[in-house]
Amino acid sequence: MAQIGLKKVVKEFGNFVAVKGINLNVQDGEFLILVGPSGCGKTTTLNMISGLETPTSGEIIIGNRIVNDVEPGERGLGMVFQDLALFPHMTVFENISFGLRVRKMPEQEIKEKVRMAADAMHILPLLSKRPAQCSGGEAQRVALARTIVNNPSVFLMDEPLSSLDAKLRVDMRTELKGLHERLNATFVYVTHDQAEAMTMADRIVVMNGGLIEQVGGPLDIYDLPASHFVAGFFGTPTMNFLKGEIVSENGNTTFSCPHIEQSLGNNIPKNLIGETVTLGVRSEHITVNEGSRQGQVRLVEPLGDSSLVFFEYGGEDRLVAKVAPELRFAPGDQITYQFQAAKCHLFGINDGRRLN
Amino acid sequence: MAEQDISRDVTAHHAKKDAARKRRRRTVIRHAILIGWALLIMFPIYWMIQTSFKDAGEWVTWPPNWIPNDPTLKNYEQIFSFNIQESGVARQATEQPFNIWGATADSIIICTISALIALFLGTFLAYAISRYNVGGKRFRHSVLLIRMIPPIVIAIPLLMYYAIMIPLATDAVLGARISLFDTRLGLSLLYITITLPFVIWMMLSFIDEIPYSFEHAARIMGAGRIYTIRKVVLPLVASGMVVTFLFVFILNWAEFLLSLTLTHPDVTTLPVLLNKFQSASEGRLYGPQAAIGTIITIPVVIMGILIQKHLIKGFSFGTIRK
Repeated sequence: MAQIGLKKVVKEFGNFVAVKGINLNVQDGEFLILVGPSGCGKTTTLNMISGLETPTSGEIIIGNRIVNDVEPGERGLGMVFQDLALFPHMTVFENISFGLRVRKMPEQEIKEKVRMAADAMHILPLLSKRPAQCSGGEAQRVALARTIVNNPSVFLMDEPLSSLDAKLRVDMRTELKGLHERLNATFVYVTHDQAEAMTMADRIVVMNGGLIEQVGGPLDIYDLPASHFVAGFFGTPTMNFLKGEIVSENGNTTFSCPHIEQSLGNNIPKNLIGETVTLGVRSEHITVNEGSRQGQVRLVEPLGDSSLVFFEYGGEDRLVAKVAPELRFAPGDQITYQFQAAKCHLFGINDGRRLN
Repeated sequence: MAEQDISRDVTAHHAKKDAARKRRRRTVIRHAILIGWALLIMFPIYWMIQTSFKDAGEWVTWPPNWIPNDPTLKNYEQIFSFNIQESGVARQATEQPFNIWGATADSIIICTISALIALFLGTFLAYAISRYNVGGKRFRHSVLLIRMIPPIVIAIPLLMYYAIMIPLATDAVLGARISLFDTRLGLSLLYITITLPFVIWMMLSFIDEIPYSFEHAARIMGAGRIYTIRKVVLPLVASGMVVTFLFVFILNWAEFLLSLTLTHPDVTTLPVLLNKFQSASEGRLYGPQAAIGTIITIPVVIMGILIQKHLIKGFSFGTIRK
């Protein structure tokens, strides 16, 4: 049993409040990813779960006991660090066996367990090497082996892939996800990379400024971001945002800003009429060569499987649309475009909360 | 077309040759400077060693003899024998008796033990300062302030305490007069105190280099503080500890002023003994002094060679790959 619960957890460092009272439940066997910009409190939250930091107030619950005052080593969890924290003066074998040695396991058993863990991570040939002699990907596997050998019920990971190059990082994502399925343990993973969060997580916790902005499945968060911040944080390129007013004419609710009028359908709460709001629309929800709105192409970024078209829709302001790669545009081209009405998001101008 | 190619080849060839020549010239200049520097450094040592093999008349000849005219072991015989009377006027040494074996033992015991204790204390203090900010933010700088005091300023007051105040106090409290003056313990305590700031300062720079995550990782795997320090922290700063030990040992080994003030006749360190080789008629006895100087240097050199691997690692800091 390895559910994790956080109840009204606050962490202050002197005058700085890193975590401002968060509630969170992690299910047994879940792959949960804490994501957010640097300084949002995600690492502090992870460190409080691990026990490396003590919460200023609130409760941390692992299984069904409150662990606020329990030493990290007695919480039954394993952690992979951003810099991996492999001990440079020990061989890979000694690194992996460290936790077992601490528990004074018999030497024969240690050998077996280390071999099994190393085998699972495909690093058997490395056992007698030192961490400095391992490549980035190998070191990553050693760090994972060192964690799984202790058989923890909870895995904590603090941006473990950030030191890898882009290609390897993508491969390791797949591997981590496979590892999670194989071990059936609870994973709590911290990253600032939204793509990493999207690809691996069962559920994502988006944090900003010491608070949780949204908790949900990857696609829920992508499709229905709870706030302006979440909408902007997920997806590349960043969602297009327009500031304007909601008006109602002849029973038609419309978003109106300079150069753009966008019909919003019928699901808009009546009390929003007359309000100033932010409209967000993702690049893939702008259809080009359709509709009547005019724009002028300024920049094209071909991605191979699609192309990003940055165009001016009036004045100097730009929107970005993701189009099929067959559509070739050049800077200066005139295009027509329209928004997919059902995919438009409305956010409050002050608090940034979702309105529709 | 072909001609052009050839001329380009020739130019490239010349450029390559030029670069190689330039590189060679730079190497020659660099080595010349280094050799000059080494000669400058090594010359006094050479002079000391060759003087130790010269007989009395030859110590101060002008122009100087670059190599001993008639190499002799008399100086070494003299410092290792107690029989001062035999060798005649020029060989008459000090008025006080001296004992090189005693002084060597004193020096080795005092310097080694006080360096080891200072290293032990300083390493743990440095760990506490680095990891727990003991003493506050400025402590790591103010800890060196103690070294700003010139030793001569503390030598005389310490003599008062060692020779008078402490015996008085112990007499009053314990009923027995215990003096720290002219004792190995007294000098060792002092050496520990004055070298501790150096140890803390040096060990801080090594310990600060170890990422916190190493200790965090060990802690999460269930290791306690002491276990982590023993298995993770200390092995990583071992080279630094060796370098620090050698540095402090040499400081103690060559220390003169405090030893001169606070010891003798019971306890004598080698630098103080060296200074005793003077005679009323001849002044300084350069030969025996050079012989002792040579002997004093040997252990330091041997130690340096033995721990060369650590020295290189320790002095180049940043040995931990992050």
